Amino acid sequence: MENLKAYIESGVLELYVLGDLPVSERLEVELMLKRHPELKLEILEIEKALQKYAESQAIAPSENLRPEVLAAINAEEIKHEPSVIAISTNSNFYKYAFAASVALLLLSLISLINLQSELKELNNKIAVLEQSNQQFSSRVNYMESQLSNAKQSLQIFHNPQEYTLVNLKGTANAPTASMTVAFNTQKSEVMIDLASLKMPANDKQHQYQLWALVDGKPIDLGVFDVQNDSIGMQLMKSIQNAQAFAVTLEPRGGSVNPTMEQMIVMGEI
Amino acid sequence: MSRKTKISLSEPELIQAIRERKRIGSEALYDMYSASLYGIILKIVQDQQLAEDLLQDSFVKIWNSIEHYDERKGRLFTWMVNLVHNLSIDKLRSKDFRNTMKNQDIDNSVLDDNKNTSRLNVDTLGLNEMVNNLNPEAKAVLNLIYFKGYTHVEASEELNIPLGTVKTRVRLAIISLRKLFN
Repeated sequence: MENLKAYIESGVLELYVLGDLPVSERLEVELMLKRHPELKLEILEIEKALQKYAESQAIAPSENLRPEVLAAINAEEIKHEPSVIAISTNSNFYKYAFAASVALLLLSLISLINLQSELKELNNKIAVLEQSNQQFSSRVNYMESQLSNAKQSLQIFHNPQEYTLVNLKGTANAPTASMTVAFNTQKSEVMIDLASLKMPANDKQHQYQLWALVDGKPIDLGVFDVQNDSIGMQLMKSIQNAQAFAVTLEPRGGSVNPTMEQMIVMGEI
Repeated sequence: MSRKTKISLSEPELIQAIRERKRIGSEALYDMYSASLYGIILKIVQDQQLAEDLLQDSFVKIWNSIEHYDERKGRLFTWMVNLVHNLSIDKLRSKDFRNTMKNQDIDNSVLDDNKNTSRLNVDTLGLNEMVNNLNPEAKAVLNLIYFKGYTHVEASEELNIPLGTVKTRVRLAIISLRKLFN
C-alpha cells in the first residue's frame, strides 16, 4: 500500500488524466488500474476536479454557433446516409443479379432439353449402327467359315495322290442325282464334297446314309443332310478299305442295314 | 441567454444518445459542454473566430468518433478535453502560431483577462473567485498544460523548472481543486 501511495503521489495519474503521457506510460497506468481498482477512485476525483476547473473557466461561445454546430453534426449524419443509398443500390444490384440468374437458369434448361433430344437421336443412331455392325460381323463369320470350307475342299482336290475322288451316280430311283466322295486310304478318311451334292433335299424325318461296300457287305459310314448352297468337306466315319460307296435314304439317325429300295447314288472305286 | 432551456442528460444517457445518433444527443452534448470546451480552446488559440471554428470541428469529431470512446478508461469530458487539446494544438502548429504564442506573457493570456470574465457562466462565477486563490505557482503549471495544451516537458522548459517539480505542482494544484470543489 505504501508503494501505491507513492505511485499516487508521483503525479503520474494527473498527467494520465491530462493526456500528457507517452503511450508506454499510459499503458502502464492502465495496467496499474486493472491491478488496483482503488486507483480508479483517485482518477475519478482528478477528472471531476479538472472538469469543474474547466467549468469555472467556461466561456459561452456566441449564440449563433449552436445552430451552426448542430447543423454541422446533422450534415455529418446526412453524409453518412449515402450508406443507406448504397444499400438500396445494392438491393437493385441484387434484383438485377436475381433476374440474371433466372435468365441464366432458363437458358440452361433450354440447352439441357436440346442436348437431351440430341443425345436420344445419337443413341438411336448408335443402336442402328450396332445392329448393322452385328449383321455385318455375322456375315463375315459366315463368309469366313465358307472360305475355310472352300480352302479345305481345295486342299483335297489339289492332292490327287492322297485322295481318291469317287463319283457316285444316280440309280433308277434318282437318275439325275450325283455326288463326290474323297477317300484317303492311308489315313482311312472318308469325306463328302458338299458342293458336289446333286440330290433332293431331305425332310426332317429322313437323312441320307453313306455306306461302304467291303467284300459285298455294306458298312455304315454315317448320316448327312443335303442342303442347298453347302460347300466344304464333311468328314464321315473312317474305313481302310472299300470297293464302292453308296447312299440310301433312311429314317433320321440312320439304319443298321441299308434299305436297298431307297438307294439314291452309287459309285465304284 | 435567449434560449430558456438547456438540454441536460446524465453522462450514460448522453453517451447512449450520441451512439444512437439521436438529435437530442447532439443538442445535449452542445448545451452541456460547449462553454467549458470553448473556454479551453479560446485560451489555447487566443482568437475568437478560430476558437469557434475549432469548437465546431471538435463537436463533429466527438460525434463521429464516439465509438473510440471507452467509458471504462475515463469520463466523457476527459476524453473530449484530450480531443479538443489535440485539435487545437494541431491547428496552432499548422498555422505556425506556436512561436508567437510562446513569446507572449502567460499572465496576459485570456485566462486572466478581466474583459473576458463578463462572458463566464453566471453559476461558475463564485468558483472562479475561489480558483483565483489557488497557489499561483501550482496554478501556472496546471494552466500551461490544461489551458495552453503544453506537455509537462514543455512546461518544464517554459518555466525553467525541473520535471519533478512540474509534476509535483500539477498534483498540488489538482489537490487544491479537489478540496475546493468538494
